[in-house]
Amino acid sequence: MTAEASRYLLESVIVLSGLAGILAALLVVAEAFIADYGECIITINGQKELRVRGGDTLLNSLAANKIFVPSACGGRGTCAYCKVKVLEGGGPTLPVEEPYLTGKERQEGVRLSCQVKVRRNISIEIPEDLFNIRQYRARVERIRDLTYDIKEVRLALIEPGTIRFRAGQYIQLRTPPYGNVREPVYRAYSISSPSQETDAIELVIRLVPNGICTTWVFNYLEAGQEVLFSGPFGNFYLRDTAAEMIFVAGGSGFAPIKSILLSAPEAVDRRGGRFFFGARSVRDLFYLELMRDYASAHPRFEFIPALSEPHPDEPWHGETGLVTEVMARRLADASNKEFYLCGSPGMIQACVRLLRSMGASDEVIFFDSFA
Amino acid sequence: MKRVPKWRDIEEMMKPGRLTRDGMLGSDPRPLEEIIESDGATVARLGLTHGDIARRLEELTAASMERLGDPVIVEETYEVRVEEARGSLPCPFKHPGRWRKAVTYCRHLPTGESIAWTALGVHMIEAHGFYEGRGSPFRLDPERIARLLAPRASSEKADPAEHNGIPRPSARRQGAGLEPDDRNATG
Repeated sequence: MTAEASRYLLESVIVLSGLAGILAALLVVAEAFIADYGECIITINGQKELRVRGGDTLLNSLAANKIFVPSACGGRGTCAYCKVKVLEGGGPTLPVEEPYLTGKERQEGVRLSCQVKVRRNISIEIPEDLFNIRQYRARVERIRDLTYDIKEVRLALIEPGTIRFRAGQYIQLRTPPYGNVREPVYRAYSISSPSQETDAIELVIRLVPNGICTTWVFNYLEAGQEVLFSGPFGNFYLRDTAAEMIFVAGGSGFAPIKSILLSAPEAVDRRGGRFFFGARSVRDLFYLELMRDYASAHPRFEFIPALSEPHPDEPWHGETGLVTEVMARRLADASNKEFYLCGSPGMIQACVRLLRSMGASDEVIFFDSFA
Repeated sequence: MKRVPKWRDIEEMMKPGRLTRDGMLGSDPRPLEEIIESDGATVARLGLTHGDIARRLEELTAASMERLGDPVIVEETYEVRVEEARGSLPCPFKHPGRWRKAVTYCRHLPTGESIAWTALGVHMIEAHGFYEGRGSPFRLDPERIARLLAPRASSEKADPAEHNGIPRPSARRQGAGLEPDDRNATG
């Protein structure tokens, strides 16, 4: 090919690319300013009707009406948490949604609400619990180290000024753009403060290697800063029965158990409770004084920290071994007990196996598996 | 050569701050297809498949899972521990499913060298032949894995140009018309 022909080819490519770019930009502008979908009605669960301006995503349209569907990726179609059932008016499933939907979900009309555009009247089904979820603006009141890799973060609510939640539930904290992180992301953290305290919440956050949100909390977040979160979410909360309560946690899994204990002291006094907390060594333990004081005030409660690998030079007179080994030693049987577990999926699986082997049915085992 | 837009989308997902803080491409200037192709050639030269390597990583992870995050000595050669965090991650190749936020830390006792991998990383090796870009925190160099972890070759050798019946990117570029999602559908 001659130099002239090459130059001609290059110029043609540049011109065509430029035209394609201009056309794409025009389409975006047309979508934003010219396409008018008018008012659309979102019918929820066959009962509630929202009148919204058409054109935005279903996720955003719901959020604008204070219905917050869980989402961790900020509407980019990568977390797949924002699934809702679209009964009609949602249009065809987009290729970006396909990988995140099972065959059954596709059949039932489940969609990623961040990918569904509201362009006509639309009918959806969502869990009733979502109506209680709000977005909160809060100020960081305090951050303190609990261990070398775990921090306690206290958030004072600004707007709304109060929150109602069940002890054991979690919120989704918004991480704003920082460093290489260009768009906001959301991550789930259990509330560790008692449910009676309605004007502030506390979180227990462990540093995750290469984690977007925990890096922000550990390296960027400071007292006085404003943050956003939504919630409360989750079905991990105390059931109202007479059975003895057995709590098991590892690491930051302490958070919802602490919230439950501080929220329901009368249940502990009435039903009795034991809390097995697994850690590797003394430096991984925290809230020891709080638990000692709690046990002093509630004679039917016992706190059992268990170290799997105590350092030889650390003074330790408590239980040693994996938390499951200590449970096996200390629990004679599983009868007339309820089990509340929070920790890594590995810990949850090991506990569930043990409890089943002790005769516990799945109906009395509740867990928040960090999943 | 013009790239299939979906490869650019996948690279976008692998950038820092999208799925993970530091991303998956590191400082590697090569296009994603080239990274995959180069590592695929190395794996084939070692007489292994991506499945062999993924299986070995999973073996070591499984051996330490019972210890709930505590280190365990495996085969008298490796000290292995698994750290799990709340949540899960999607595959940047848009493969169906989600992967636990679990990191396996492995120390090769004879040399003292350490190597770490994620649950998502093992999946990306097995299903997509992707070992992450150079300079990425969880880059797994196939030669280093072979030297430290001694994965065993499966008895049935795969065509080095294929993995799980999926042609490598070179085959795609030769005109097979394969796009990333096609790989995902069978990977």
